[in-house]
Amino acid sequence: MIRNLVRVSAGVIAALSLLLLIDWAVAAVRQPKDDKLVKAMQETVKKDASLAPKLAAEQKRITGYRLSRKRRDTWAANGLIAAAIVFLVFARRNLPRHVPAAPQRASRRGAAGQPHACRRQSEASAQEVDVGFVDEAVARLGRHREAAVPLVQAIQTHYRYLPDEALRRLCEITDITPAQIAGTSSFYGQFRRSPVGEHIVKVCHGTACHVAGARQITEELRRYLAIPEDQDTDAARQFTLEEVACLGCCSLAPVLMVDQHTAGRLTPNTAPEALRPFDKEPA
Amino acid sequence: MSRNVTRRVAVTALASGAVFLIRKAHGQVVWQVNASRCVNSRLGEVGVEACNLCTSSCVVALSAVRAVNEYSKCGRCNICPAYFNIASAVDEKGLPSEKLCPRDAIARKPIGKQDPEDPANNFYEYVIDEEKCDGCGRCVMKCKEPLGLGSITLQVRYNRCLNCNRCAISTDCPKDALEQVPLPEALKPGEARPTV
Amino acid sequence: MLARSPIAVLVLLLLLPWQALAQAIEYSRPVETAPQADTIGGGYKTPEVQRPLPRDYWLQVFDVVLLAAAMGVSAWLVLKRRSRRWLMGLAIFSLAYFGFYREGCVCPVGSIQNVTVALTDPRYSIPIVVVATFFLPLFVAMFFGRAFCGGVCALGAMQEMVVLKPVKVPRRIDRALGLLKYVYLLLAILFALKPAIARDFVICRFDPFVGFFRGTGAPHMLMIGAVFLVGGMFIGRPYCRYLCPYGALLNWCTRLARRGVSITPHRELDCGLCNDACPYGAIEKMRAVRKDCLYCARCYASCPNEGERARARESLVTVGGGAK
Repeated sequence: MIRNLVRVSAGVIAALSLLLLIDWAVAAVRQPKDDKLVKAMQETVKKDASLAPKLAAEQKRITGYRLSRKRRDTWAANGLIAAAIVFLVFARRNLPRHVPAAPQRASRRGAAGQPHACRRQSEASAQEVDVGFVDEAVARLGRHREAAVPLVQAIQTHYRYLPDEALRRLCEITDITPAQIAGTSSFYGQFRRSPVGEHIVKVCHGTACHVAGARQITEELRRYLAIPEDQDTDAARQFTLEEVACLGCCSLAPVLMVDQHTAGRLTPNTAPEALRPFDKEPA
Repeated sequence: MSRNVTRRVAVTALASGAVFLIRKAHGQVVWQVNASRCVNSRLGEVGVEACNLCTSSCVVALSAVRAVNEYSKCGRCNICPAYFNIASAVDEKGLPSEKLCPRDAIARKPIGKQDPEDPANNFYEYVIDEEKCDGCGRCVMKCKEPLGLGSITLQVRYNRCLNCNRCAISTDCPKDALEQVPLPEALKPGEARPTV
Repeated sequence: MLARSPIAVLVLLLLLPWQALAQAIEYSRPVETAPQADTIGGGYKTPEVQRPLPRDYWLQVFDVVLLAAAMGVSAWLVLKRRSRRWLMGLAIFSLAYFGFYREGCVCPVGSIQNVTVALTDPRYSIPIVVVATFFLPLFVAMFFGRAFCGGVCALGAMQEMVVLKPVKVPRRIDRALGLLKYVYLLLAILFALKPAIARDFVICRFDPFVGFFRGTGAPHMLMIGAVFLVGGMFIGRPYCRYLCPYGALLNWCTRLARRGVSITPHRELDCGLCNDACPYGAIEKMRAVRKDCLYCARCYASCPNEGERARARESLVTVGGGAK
């Protein structure tokens, strides 16, 4: 919609400038011609009075043309200014923001934009993973052993976890050994080997929350989401549970964050309530 | 600290410059056509084409210079050489068939006591429509000795004039007829009255 | 009046014999002098000749007062309030009033020439309004920086509006082009110093935007103006930075400024957002360069610690509560 407005106003600007230019060029050609014509007619009128009305009509036409040109040009200029205002206002809005509006933007993306996309992705990964991205990343980052960490990072950002198929493909086409990948991916906390849920629930286990019963909250959520001992994501791949260090709002302990949303002063009874707004199938 | 001193010196210098200028400054200056220099209105220039530089040079659309008829000097003739092109053929009413103004900006209207038998001795008023006039100077050229009384002159209309620093017409005018004068002087010919 | 004198009749006779026939009339009315109302009779009254006056003097003084007030508001908005939004409002007002309504005259940029002439030519009379217009922004610059450039100058406001996606001009090129304005200033003064007949006011003659304000002008100047505006979408305010001769004077005055736009050391985050936001290359090594600063307040607008963004964030922070 905005993009169209920008295009339309840009078109109007171009058209009106063209109109003004053409008008100016036509007038520049016409003026001497008209002057010559009038002069010639004046000569004839000196001899023949009956031609006078014709001359008067001609002069009226020329005056009319010049006055109408002035009017037309004024309109075109005003239109040009208006179109320029529309263009500038909307083009500016359409531009990618120079300065990122950090907090709001991130939350909006997490809540509205990506869930559907990643849901589709996680469904796909349950059946088969499209390993095309791996080839692409290798082409970009190189196939040497030194590129292992950036490659694994790229795969993590793309799939949001490290699918086995992708890692296998990575070993096939590069010098990196499975042992190296296993070492890298298990050493750094940022990598995960199992698919991630749609929402990430970070339960604070900082000192204040621990004292206020963070353990019970986690237990209760595991029970509520029916997550087995050795996993962190529920069967429907809705929520991934994480235990994190301090979230920085100890006054609200115990506290958890669902994506970017914080809920505090929880009890084992109210903790599932905090997840409910995000749940697809209401419990 | 030294910046403060420098600033004080600079402010004093600027202020004294301003005071010096204000002491010699005038209220308001405007551009004016000097009729005794303008080719179109000065005496002796007969039989030449009217100069239309006031029209073509002015930055204002249709020019800020217009022909103005000083009614108290107008002869109010039957056949006005500024209204009619007296070189054109005569029509059945005995009047020249062509009007002089290319934009038809002058209106002719009988005034006073009318004698239908003797139209030549009646009085006519010639009113210039300033919206149509573009100051081409043809009527000014004709309305002067020997044919006319010189009641029509080119004048800068101050409601249109943008009062440019260097009037674009004055740079082109061959006789330097445009000059900058203090406002009261420019208004001398008659009483100043704002237009409606 | 046609047969005013024998010579006239003779001329006419020679020129147009058949016309003279029609006009060889005995005049009983006066023809050698203009007939007055009592001669004409019939209750006729000589109409008064309209003599339109220029803009009222008090309105011109009002313009100067408005100029001073606008500069005060500009300085307050930028230095105290640090608000780009309100400054843009002021710029729109200035563009509408000083630009489109007053048609770009009288402006401090052009008044350089009048002042030069008045200082050197004793016969040249300069209006007080012009003197005031020339000196006011310079005085303000000595205390608060280029407050005139930010929200008051119509030429600047016009270019400020069109800035769309400014690129950073490499500093060396920026410096080199910046010297042009001194050349232009010198030329303008030289042309104004000439004797009255040959005197030329180049700044006014080659003003690229005044044609837009007046809705009329030489086609080539309008085209140059359009080029400046289109270029101004990608290079911030090209006329102000590289050509404006008044900018050169303000530049000198601003070096003495008591206050000005500043990136406050004890409040800054070293994030460089202001540096990215400044389209005029007026932030060097994370410090505002006052002589080049055009008072647009973009740095404050982009700062996470200052201005609107910070105020907006403060009002946004909510603790607790889920997504709804």
